[in-house]
Amino acid sequence: MKLTLTSVYRPHCFPTLLNSSSFISLCRPFCTSALSSVPTGVKPQVPLFLRPPIYSTKLCDLKKWHDWAKGLAFSVGSTFLHSDNGPDSSLLCRELKWLMEDAVVGHHSLGVKDDGRVEMRVDMEELYCLWRQRILERRPFQYVVGCEHWRDFVLSVQEGVLIPRPETELVVDFVSGVVSENEDLKKGAWADLGTGSGALAIGIGGVLASGGGRVIATDLSPVAVAVAAYNVQRYCLQDNIELREGSWFEPLKDMEGRLAGLVSNPPYIPSKDISGLQAEVGRHEPRVSLDGGIDGMDALLHLCDGAALMLKPGGFFAFETNGKQQCRALVDYMENNRSGSFCNLEIRADFAGIQRFVIGFHQ
Amino acid sequence: MSRILRKPLRTKGLSLFLHKLVGESHHIPASSSWFCLSHSLPHNPIPYFTSNSVPDAIHSSASLQFRFWASEAAATEPSTSDGLTVQGILAHNWTILDESDSDWKSHAAAVARSIDLIKRRLQWSKLKVRLDMLSAQVNREDLWDDPVRAGQISREHGSLLGKMKEVNALEQELLEHVDMIKLAREENDADLESESLKTLLNMRRNAKEKELEALLSGEHDSCSCYIEVQPGAGGTESMDWAAMVMQMYKSWAQRRGYKVTVIEEMPGEIAGIKRATIKVDGEFAFGYAKAEIGVHRLVRISPFDSSKRRHTSFAAVAVIPILGDGSTHVQINESDLRIERFRSSGSGGQHANTTDSAVRIIHIPTGITATCQNERSQHLNKASAMAVLQSRLDQLEIARQAQLNAQHTQSLTDITWGNQIRSYVLHPYRMVKDLRTNYEVSDPDSVLEGDLDGFILSYLSATLDKDDDA
Repeated sequence: MKLTLTSVYRPHCFPTLLNSSSFISLCRPFCTSALSSVPTGVKPQVPLFLRPPIYSTKLCDLKKWHDWAKGLAFSVGSTFLHSDNGPDSSLLCRELKWLMEDAVVGHHSLGVKDDGRVEMRVDMEELYCLWRQRILERRPFQYVVGCEHWRDFVLSVQEGVLIPRPETELVVDFVSGVVSENEDLKKGAWADLGTGSGALAIGIGGVLASGGGRVIATDLSPVAVAVAAYNVQRYCLQDNIELREGSWFEPLKDMEGRLAGLVSNPPYIPSKDISGLQAEVGRHEPRVSLDGGIDGMDALLHLCDGAALMLKPGGFFAFETNGKQQCRALVDYMENNRSGSFCNLEIRADFAGIQRFVIGFHQ
Repeated sequence: MSRILRKPLRTKGLSLFLHKLVGESHHIPASSSWFCLSHSLPHNPIPYFTSNSVPDAIHSSASLQFRFWASEAAATEPSTSDGLTVQGILAHNWTILDESDSDWKSHAAAVARSIDLIKRRLQWSKLKVRLDMLSAQVNREDLWDDPVRAGQISREHGSLLGKMKEVNALEQELLEHVDMIKLAREENDADLESESLKTLLNMRRNAKEKELEALLSGEHDSCSCYIEVQPGAGGTESMDWAAMVMQMYKSWAQRRGYKVTVIEEMPGEIAGIKRATIKVDGEFAFGYAKAEIGVHRLVRISPFDSSKRRHTSFAAVAVIPILGDGSTHVQINESDLRIERFRSSGSGGQHANTTDSAVRIIHIPTGITATCQNERSQHLNKASAMAVLQSRLDQLEIARQAQLNAQHTQSLTDITWGNQIRSYVLHPYRMVKDLRTNYEVSDPDSVLEGDLDGFILSYLSATLDKDDDA
C-alpha cells in the first residue's frame, strides 16, 4: 500500500527554488505554513526542538500515536532499502525516537504533569501529519524535524536547503589540521561557496574563531542565505562569518588573491543520475544543489578556475566530489590545465572508503 | 637501614607499574593537604605536604623522617595501658551480643571484628607494601622533574595514607575507650562507664558502615563504566535473553541514580539484541558493576519455541572502567586507527540521505574495535566510539600490568562461556542463584527488574573477605 501511495505523489518536476513553495503547500495541506513567504524576505523555519512547548496532550494519546507510527515504520520493512537504498524499519524506528525527543518536553521521563498531560512542541494532528509525510511521501527526516545534527552542531534546515551530509564533516577536520600548523592561514579570510545551511562555514568559523580568522559564505539561494544566517546567529558566530548572496565567486570580487582558504561542497551528481536518486533526496532536496551537469563536474571545474584566481599564495582549498572518478579528473585538470597554480594535491577518502575530497594549496 | 637501601632498586622496576596505579583522586582533594605524623612518630611531629608548594628544606627533612615512619608504623601496634591490642581483643573471642545488650566486651569485640574485616577488604598488607613504594617515590629528589607524574604519585600516596590513618585511628579510639571503661569500673564511676559504653556502641555502628565503604576501595571502583552484553549461541532465544540482561542493568543503574546512555545496540532479526553497550555514569558505577562480569544463564520455556520446550540460554557481560582525568591513559596514535562508516552502501555523499551515521573505529595494532550508532551526528558517534576504544585499551593495559606484577585480578576481557556466574531459572521452579557465592533469591522478576544489590554486595564481600590478608 505504501508504495502505491508514494508513487501517486510524484511531482512533475523537481522542487527547485522557484517552485518550492507551491510544491510544499501542495503536498502538505495540514501543516504550518512557515515556508509560505519564500523566497523574498525569507523567514527561516524554527526547528521543532526549539519551538515553545505550547501544546499538551494526554499520555495515552501520545502512546496511541507512537504505536501507530511504529506500525507504519514496520510496514515499510526493507522495501525502501531495496527500491532506492532508502531507510529500513529499524532506521525509521530510530528516527521515530528522535522525533519524540524533539517534539515532547522531557521525553526521557515523559514529563507527565499532575493532570496526566504531556507538554509538546507540536499538536497531535501535526505529529500525525509529520510522520505520514516521513513514511508516505519520503520527506527527509531532517526536514520533518527542521534540523540536522552535524558535527557538534544542530543546524536548522528546511525545504530549499541541502541537508548537510556526514561525509562533509571531514572537511572541517582537514581545515583544522591545516590551520593548526599555519598561524597565517588561521588568521586569514576563508570562503565557503554554496554554503547551503551554513554547515561548513560554521564548522570552519568555529575552528578559526580563536585565531581571529573569518569566513565569507556565499549562496545563490535566498532561502539558503536566510537559513545559514539563522544558524550562524544561533552559534554566535556572526562576527566571524559573513553571508553574501550570489553565484559562486560573484560576491567575492573584492577578495581576489586574498583568500587564505576555500572550501565547497558543490553540486556534483551527473544529471543523468538525478532521476534514480533515493526518494528523500531526488524528490525533496533542491536540484540546484545536487545536479552538477552532464558529468557532474561543471561547478567543480568552475571552482578550480576561481580558486587559482582568488587564493593567495600558500592558500588552502578542499572540495567534496562524487567519488574516485571525479577526484582523479579534478586532479588531472589542475595538473594539466592549471599547471603551476596548485601544489600538494591530495585525494582523501571518506569513512566509507570512497575517494571523496580533493585538497591542496595554491602555489 | 638495609630496607632503605633496597628500596631504590625495587622502585625502579615498579615505576611503570606505579605509573599505571597512581592517579586516584577521589579520596582527598587535589589541593594542598597535609598529614600530621605525630601520632605514630617517636620524634617531633613534622607536617607532611602533598602539594608541590612544599619548601625544599621541610620537604627533605620530612622525607627522611617519613621513611622511618612508613616502615615502622606497622611495628608499633597500638595497645591499651595494660597491653591489650585489637588482635588481642579478637583472640579473646568475646561473645558478640545484640546491639541492645549493654555489654562492653560485646561492643569491643564487634568493633574489633569490623576493623579486622575492613583491613582485609582494604588488602592491608598489600596496602602497606604499596605505601612503602610510594613513600620511596615521594622521597626521590627528582620527583618534581615530572610534575604530572609527581602529582599523581603524591595523590595516591595521600589517599592510601588517609585510608591507613583512618583505620589506625579507629583502632586507637577502640583501645582508648576500653581503657576508659576499665578505669571507670576500677573507680566505680557509673556515669563514665555508661558514657563510654554509649560511645562504644556508636563506634560499633560507625564501623559497620565503614565495612561497606571498604568494599569499594579498589583502584578503579569509583569510576563510571561501560557495560556490554552479548548473547551466547542459540539464536533468537539467546538474543532475547541478552536483551533482558541489558534491561536488568539499565533498571539497576537507574535505581541507583546513575545516568544510562545507550552507546551501541545491534538488534536481533526477530527479537532481542546481538550486542549492546551502555555507559553508566556515576560514582562507584564500576565498583558495583564489576561484580556482574561473567556469563549469565537462563532456563525457561522459550516463547520462541512453538512446541513450548525448555531452553537454556547464555549471555556474557563485560564491564569496563572509564578512567578519570587524573589517570594515565594509553596513548593512541592517530595513524594506528582505521575509521569506518558502519553499514554504508552506495555512492554516499549527496546521493544519500540517511540518519544513520554509525562509526566503527579499529585500533590496528591490537585489533580492538569500538562502534557507536546512538548519536545523531557522525562526528559525535566517532567521539563516543573513540571514548569506548580508549577505555578498552586502558583496560587491556591494566590487565597487562596486573599480569606483569603477578597481582591477582580478574581479567575483564577473558569471558569464556565456561565462566558462569549466575543462573536464572524461570521453569520448572523459580530462582536466581549466584554460583560464586551461593546467594539466591526466589523471585526472578525482581532481579530482572534490577534488584541486584544483594548479589553484588554478597559477591564483593565474598571476594574481598576470603583472602586472609589482614
